[in-house]
Amino acid sequence: MAGLKTASGDYIDASWELSVAVEELGPEAEPLTLRVTGDVHIGGVMLQIVDKIKVKQNWSDHALWWEQKKLWLLKTNWTLDKYGLQADARLRYTPQHKPVRLQLPNRRMICVHASFSEPVFRAVAGICRVLSIRHAEELSLLRAPKEKDKKKRKGPVLGTEDEFDLSGVVLPASAEQQPFRGMPAHFSDSPATEACYRMLSVSWTGLTPEHVLKMPRPSNLVEKAQINSRWLSSSRSLMQQDVRENEQLWLRFKYYNFFDLEPKYDAVRITQLYEQARWAVLLEETESTEEEMMVFAALQYHINKLSLSADPTETAGEQGMDDLDSALSNLQVKLEGGTSTSDMLENLTTIPELKDYLRVFRPRKLTLKGYKQHWVVFKETTISYYKSREEALGEPVQQLNLKGCEVVPDVNISGQKFCIRLLVPSPEGMSEVYLRCEDEQQYASWMAGCRLAAKGRTMADSTYQSEVQNILSFLQLQRASPDAPVAPDAEAMGTQWLVSPRYQKKFKPKQLTPRILEAHQNVAQLSLTEAKMRFIQAWQSLPDFGISYFVVRFKGSRKDEILGIANNRLIRIDLAVGDVVKTWRYSNMRQWNVNWDIRQVAIEFDEHINVAFSSVSAGCNIVHEYIGGYIFLSTRSTDKGRGLDEELFYKLTGGHEAL
Amino acid sequence: MNAAGAGCAHCPGSGCLIRARSVLLAPAARRACSSPGGPASRGSSSKMEQTCDDIDEMFSNLLGEMDLLTQSLGVETVQPPSPKESNKEYNFTVGFKDLNESLSALEDNDLDALMADLVADLTEVEQKTVQAQKTSHYSQSEVTQPSTSVCAAASYDYKSNVPVTTTGRFEDDLPPPPPDPAFNLPLPPPPPEPLTQEELETQAKADKIKLALEKLKEAKVKKLVVKVHMNDNSTKSLMVDERQVARDVLDNLFEKTHCDCNVDWCLYEIYPELQIERFFEDHENVIEILSDWTRDSENKVLFLEKNEKYAVFKNPQNFYLANKGKNEGKEMNEKNKEFLLEESFCGTSVIVPELEGALYLKEDGKKSWKRRYFLLRASGIYYVPKGKTKTSRDLACFIQFENLNIYYGTQYKLKYKAPTDYCFVLKHPQIQKESQYIKYLCCDDQGTLQQWVTGIRIAKYGKTLYDNYKRAVQRASLASGWANLATVKPAVTAGSSLTDITGTVQANGQILQSIPPARLEAQKHTEMTKDKKPNDVNGCRSVQPTSQPQTYQNKRASIKPPPPQRRSSAVSSTPLQPAQPKRGSAVFTSDPVTFPPPPPEMAEDLPPPPPDFCEDPPDFVPPPPPTCSSSTEDLLPPPPPPPPSQASLSNKPLPVTKKVGPPPPKRQVNTERTEEPKSMGLPPSGGGSGQPDLMSDLMKALQKKRGNTS
Repeated sequence: MAGLKTASGDYIDASWELSVAVEELGPEAEPLTLRVTGDVHIGGVMLQIVDKIKVKQNWSDHALWWEQKKLWLLKTNWTLDKYGLQADARLRYTPQHKPVRLQLPNRRMICVHASFSEPVFRAVAGICRVLSIRHAEELSLLRAPKEKDKKKRKGPVLGTEDEFDLSGVVLPASAEQQPFRGMPAHFSDSPATEACYRMLSVSWTGLTPEHVLKMPRPSNLVEKAQINSRWLSSSRSLMQQDVRENEQLWLRFKYYNFFDLEPKYDAVRITQLYEQARWAVLLEETESTEEEMMVFAALQYHINKLSLSADPTETAGEQGMDDLDSALSNLQVKLEGGTSTSDMLENLTTIPELKDYLRVFRPRKLTLKGYKQHWVVFKETTISYYKSREEALGEPVQQLNLKGCEVVPDVNISGQKFCIRLLVPSPEGMSEVYLRCEDEQQYASWMAGCRLAAKGRTMADSTYQSEVQNILSFLQLQRASPDAPVAPDAEAMGTQWLVSPRYQKKFKPKQLTPRILEAHQNVAQLSLTEAKMRFIQAWQSLPDFGISYFVVRFKGSRKDEILGIANNRLIRIDLAVGDVVKTWRYSNMRQWNVNWDIRQVAIEFDEHINVAFSSVSAGCNIVHEYIGGYIFLSTRSTDKGRGLDEELFYKLTGGHEAL
Repeated sequence: MNAAGAGCAHCPGSGCLIRARSVLLAPAARRACSSPGGPASRGSSSKMEQTCDDIDEMFSNLLGEMDLLTQSLGVETVQPPSPKESNKEYNFTVGFKDLNESLSALEDNDLDALMADLVADLTEVEQKTVQAQKTSHYSQSEVTQPSTSVCAAASYDYKSNVPVTTTGRFEDDLPPPPPDPAFNLPLPPPPPEPLTQEELETQAKADKIKLALEKLKEAKVKKLVVKVHMNDNSTKSLMVDERQVARDVLDNLFEKTHCDCNVDWCLYEIYPELQIERFFEDHENVIEILSDWTRDSENKVLFLEKNEKYAVFKNPQNFYLANKGKNEGKEMNEKNKEFLLEESFCGTSVIVPELEGALYLKEDGKKSWKRRYFLLRASGIYYVPKGKTKTSRDLACFIQFENLNIYYGTQYKLKYKAPTDYCFVLKHPQIQKESQYIKYLCCDDQGTLQQWVTGIRIAKYGKTLYDNYKRAVQRASLASGWANLATVKPAVTAGSSLTDITGTVQANGQILQSIPPARLEAQKHTEMTKDKKPNDVNGCRSVQPTSQPQTYQNKRASIKPPPPQRRSSAVSSTPLQPAQPKRGSAVFTSDPVTFPPPPPEMAEDLPPPPPDFCEDPPDFVPPPPPTCSSSTEDLLPPPPPPPPSQASLSNKPLPVTKKVGPPPPKRQVNTERTEEPKSMGLPPSGGGSGQPDLMSDLMKALQKKRGNTS
């Protein structure tokens, strides 16, 4: 035992005093002092500490942290000498897992325990296990923006009002997570955690235009590059990177290479990915055209609507079922649903028709003729109109087969104008016809019929009724402007929040809603998960998708430029204009080196192309890790049995600090 | 045009009377439809189970009845209604050309029985309505039906809603069974592995239902005779049914032409009037495309090789990397190509090649061309408005791809004063004449044109394109493999068809004792063949060639064999083994003659529609030896084309044929006699008149076709 001393009190062995701070004793408490020699191993030191504290609790998660060196003393069989510890070392005896406040991709806050001693890569994996997100390697943590940035925002940040706490959650020991009541078992402990699961797996419906407006938006490439300076290094621990207990961090998908998205297992992952995509679109981090924005808006509207009624457990269950099965069981319900046989036959054998007096208008060159009343019969996919009802047995004035035609709403609610504009293809070209309906109900049923017919389906199609309802609810949306009291549900909030602020300004709601409605007709039949997947796919097919920007200075160049890092290539971009100057693909990459002294990344491609740059906007290690990370992700195999080669990851991303 | 109408279409051409339990079956069947998930269907309570059992029972009852009927076909006895039969019986009749056909069409009957049941639920008044409908169909079909034979381009008949009997016939005649994707899945009544009845119960149920649904669809299949121009200026006419996609038609043509089947072969449509042309994508429905043509259209379908079709998959770097690093050579090693394709087509979403540049756009109604800067995005083509930058938010949408096809414009320098001849055209498929809704664009050079056309195709079709390509490659490698395999193949065929049969048997709840050993044998064969297959480089390659022929066969088999099977069970089982090789060989050698030589009797049959039910033996007695062969022809989809095999077929009691064969020839004659008159005579309404027309048209086509090939 260390600490032999003479009668005079002098120590005669090589022992010295080691001071260890223990948080559990209170912030004011003096550090403990232990008498040790250099050959005491860490485990022994911890034993002494626990003995000395005399507090009965579970200390198993605690470990020693060497503050000056920013080092966890985790190897309990190493001696102090081996660690190079001297009497001047300040140690802390502290838990390895601490709570952090995470902002998820859906911009909501959650409190979880994260490992502060393992590399961030592992810490993220742990967090994702709690959140039930597979393929944690695609995500990582960022520091929250500095306080001063935050002050620019006026109101409370979205979602901070209610923070979910998952810090108490105990994960089952086995790696396999058994679903229980449609959600991972550890979520079903309490109503609070169940609510949390709902938050994770169902997108939030309470969004308002203000939320979008208040979010900081990057306006140019340099600003887009800023977020990338905040990534934490994956190969070092949170503690090493000065992250404190309860600090706010962001959890985001970092690598845009989404592996094996599977609705069956990935309820949370897909939802969070959708949310990240949605925010990227709304905040114009990924730029889209007007047409694309309308599609995104329509998908959001659709997802929102479905989410209002969605039950997370149900979605999980439903996803487990084959489409066919569910469709069939629906059918069964329908068939057994009490209608008499003859009714069913009627349904099977007769195709509903619409017939009514409508005003028809065919724009022609040099005619000023307006709408004219006609008796219009809509049968199967064909619209025929007659001079009057009585002539309906004879030859129609005109007959239009709507298959493949374009259907455009032309509605002005305040003006009580309910027009359907049809662009009907014919061998000679497209003929344009307007049908004017009297009221909403009539409009909705005809419009729905036209839409189905355009896709070659008839009104006998099972989706007809829901289509009618959709149209009606959209009309409702337009109606609910000034006079109607703002109802709490999302539908009443209009459509403004579905598009980015640029388009919020560009269009009046009156103009926006019909356009979204138009886009909506193509997605109205999607299920919740399908719609999310569609959104993600549409996002992925944007040209700007998946590019992480950095401001860099290329070797030999005197001005800053932008380096875009995507999952398959590096892009050199002109900072001022935004034009792509050059692209290099990873597949042609021979090797890359980082000169940590001058903070320069040098890459060699096939055919002796050499590129070198230093990073201006972010740490050199972040750029390095991004490139290495993508290369690591591309090595993932479809073989699910094989786990990730973590070593390889550190090797590719860690640089000299690793290991 | 609804199911009931179609189902009833059977009635006119009648030969046998089938009494089906109507009320009981209909709802049950419908309920059954809701659970074809079979074993997978969860949440099915015991009640559900029970229902299923009921259905099963009913199915087997029905089938049993049919078997009996088949047996007694010639005798013209009407099956006494089974005890369970409800009061509401509905008689309906089905006509057949001859016994064999009736057998093969029996499956149809199952379905039709179902349909008839549906109809039977209605009151008699409704029945009348249906009748009326039916007749109206006929008149319609007559109206729409132009004289079949072929005008300048591809002429086509609307045969929709024509009595099913004919359809069934066509089906039999069509040698290369439509390798229809839709077909692939639902059709095969054969469960993958032959298991015991109990184990297969659910599976069988599902299969039956699928089959039923398939039949339902089949009942209203529309068929066209399409004239395809070959590159040697000859033409070939072939029957294309509504469900066939371009790939199926290509496969048909491969069999007929002995070409090398490489991936570049395509169907190519040409609009002489607009001077535009394009290849059909393999997944496109041919009939749908052709229906957009006007009746007097000069448009043509060509069968030729176009390197552009799949150029992107052969050299993806030319499309995906072209604009980037200019040093990048045109060459790329295979591994990198694969990698690039994987990356571009196998992700969550397909990557559309980055493409932008100045193109000329023809101004509406003028012969002037304006240069604009265009960008291709997955969502459409955009242009940069004047004074704007090409950032996403400033782009203006030029066009989106929904409801648009892309064509090459030819000789536009001359026609429209285009700056170059490298033009492409975007138009709605239905537009056939010049119109302001057609967009004309002009590129600087051939390479750019290819990039744009391909890029737009990728944006429009996405991963489908890649799937098409993979299938085409499979087909091509299969073709090259075939030469070596000719000897071995038959076994495969036999095996698969046999399995089908057993599957059906089980599904029907009837066990054929004689089958199992044979089946085992067949399977062994199959396995052996697999082993013998030259294994290509990698595993997946080697697998596909094998699986392909099998499914191919399956389709065929699934259409045909079941009926014979049932029949054989009814009649008496005969050794199946010998037949198998035969059948296989027939299949494989059948390339040259795709259409079976029209059975002689058929031609005779058609013209004189004999009066109802009267038997006219002398007329219809087929020449004695042919009896057998004719039956074979009908039965075997790919008629044994080369004379030798024909001969052998007729000489030997064929297995497959044989299944049919067992009943002494005399008997067959009998049945034929009885049936045929009926089929012609029964429908005094439009059906009778419509049918001969069709048939003679068909005959013409067949004969013509035959002339071509022989």
